[in-house]
Amino acid sequence: MLKLEKVSKSWTEFEIKNICLEIGDTEYLTILGPSGAGKTLFLELIAGIYTPDSGRILMDGKDITSLPPEKRNLAYIPQNYALFPHLTVYDNIAYGLKLRKIPNVRKEVEEIAKILGISHLLHRKPKTLSGGESQRVAIARALVIKPKLLLLDEPFSNLDIQTRTRLINEMRKLKSQLRFSALHVTHSLEEAIDLGDTVGIMLDGELVQIGEVREVFSRPVNDRVAKFLGFDNIFEGVAEGRILKVDGISIKLPAEAKGRVRIGIRPESILVSKNIIHSENVFKAKVTAFEDIGAVVRLTLKTGDIEFRAFVTRSFLFEMGMKSGMEVYIGFNTSDVYVFL
Amino acid sequence: MPRRSYIEVFFAIFGSFLVIYIVLPIAFILIRQLAYPEMLINALHDEHVINALKNSLLTSTATVIIALSFGVPLGYVLARKEFRGKGAVQGVIDVPIVIPHSVVGIMLLTTFSNRILDSYIGIIMAMLFVSTSFTVNSSRDGFLAVDEKLEHVARTLGASKLRAFFSISLPLALPSILSGAIMTWARAMSEVGAILIVAYFPKTAQILVLEYFENFGLETSMPISVILIVLSISIFILLRWVIGKYAQA
Repeated sequence: MLKLEKVSKSWTEFEIKNICLEIGDTEYLTILGPSGAGKTLFLELIAGIYTPDSGRILMDGKDITSLPPEKRNLAYIPQNYALFPHLTVYDNIAYGLKLRKIPNVRKEVEEIAKILGISHLLHRKPKTLSGGESQRVAIARALVIKPKLLLLDEPFSNLDIQTRTRLINEMRKLKSQLRFSALHVTHSLEEAIDLGDTVGIMLDGELVQIGEVREVFSRPVNDRVAKFLGFDNIFEGVAEGRILKVDGISIKLPAEAKGRVRIGIRPESILVSKNIIHSENVFKAKVTAFEDIGAVVRLTLKTGDIEFRAFVTRSFLFEMGMKSGMEVYIGFNTSDVYVFL
Repeated sequence: MPRRSYIEVFFAIFGSFLVIYIVLPIAFILIRQLAYPEMLINALHDEHVINALKNSLLTSTATVIIALSFGVPLGYVLARKEFRGKGAVQGVIDVPIVIPHSVVGIMLLTTFSNRILDSYIGIIMAMLFVSTSFTVNSSRDGFLAVDEKLEHVARTLGASKLRAFFSISLPLALPSILSGAIMTWARAMSEVGAILIVAYFPKTAQILVLEYFENFGLETSMPISVILIVLSISIFILLRWVIGKYAQA
């Protein structure tokens, strides 16, 4: 239903480069990218708030590249929700309906409010609402006009984890109940995994990879995507059959390869132990650094000339009496080694 | 008492000098006039005084309406658009504040000569010149404080640019715009220098004060001064209160 053909735009410090994309009816596409990747600009180009420098945007086969936002029949939920502060929740939701001169505004508003569980908030002003309530009002205001496409900018990033999980589940239900397509941009891997049929990776204004969630996460197309998706261990070496030689160590590969090859291993796939490990790839390594990153500690482990990064829990670190310079074993299975093309 | 509090107390005492300095003359003239209430009543029955007050209120209100109709669109453009020469435009708007008001009168008369001499138009033009920047600047600040995303969302929900302006941006910027308009009104009511040169007639209250003072002395100019003070301050307070209520709602 929505198709982008080589859309580019440069605006202030942000840039969108040559984006080609297609979203089908009732598809939920998540675009994942770090902050500053141009995700918001990307949505606002589709919404019609900015016009692309080059390229075309088509909706149901019709060129809408230069159509103003009010003629595109889509809805946009910005990151801060942008509820109209001078209007009540009811008037916020009714805003789009009144403009469309729909006969039974009250009925429509009450219906969508019931679906989203905000019927008791209709008389309130936005500033009295909690984050989760504001989010629901924003979703109601967007969906009540029955848009073909819903654009969401980091919709769950300002919410606590419980509210977020609940809303993500509700979004899934709404999608099948009200049948709209959605384009959702986020920097959160969890959100992308939980929501998307399809996920696209946006880095520096480029749509680098797009595909099914499982596929993108397991087979990043290049090491930029891999790094962003959390592959902390990326090595380049020369492959011969199922063996990759990297700076003097040999790593067993999941499949045969030849010539210069890059591989990625997630830090959570690497086992660390004082004793010998039974695994397909085992190395002796020296602990060179600790880094506390919240729930886990990231270890830097040196073997030969290469450095591995691995996650361990804080209690594990304590039990092992781990110190800098200590010798340990590290291991990982070949199935956790990803070969990038 | 900790040392910091001493400093704050000292600053507060020091700073209240200015507050007292402003309140004192106002209180003094009001109290002095209360001693001679019959002069005040006479002034209120004086046809010259009543006509002059009418002229002042009429012209300053007209000034506000003109300032709003041109200043709000200008303020919106200054808040929303980046363009070459924006700094210069902003500078021009602020220029009237630095020009002595008698000079403003001379400039207007030089430019428009007899067409504005001694007319309502002349009074309004003098008032507009010295007071319009308040409305433009506070409109701009008002629109700057309205998140542009609100307009964007209104557009995607089906509003045209103009509709989004009138239904979203304008109501949200209104308290700021109106407090600028009150400043414009107050500034217009208190203008003398430029009016004196451009339009001595039709006589406004602020000019009448001057005339009574020069012809009959301090005592005679006092009642009309008191009427002007009371009128201006009450309208000022009333409007501020109404806007405060609106902004809270």
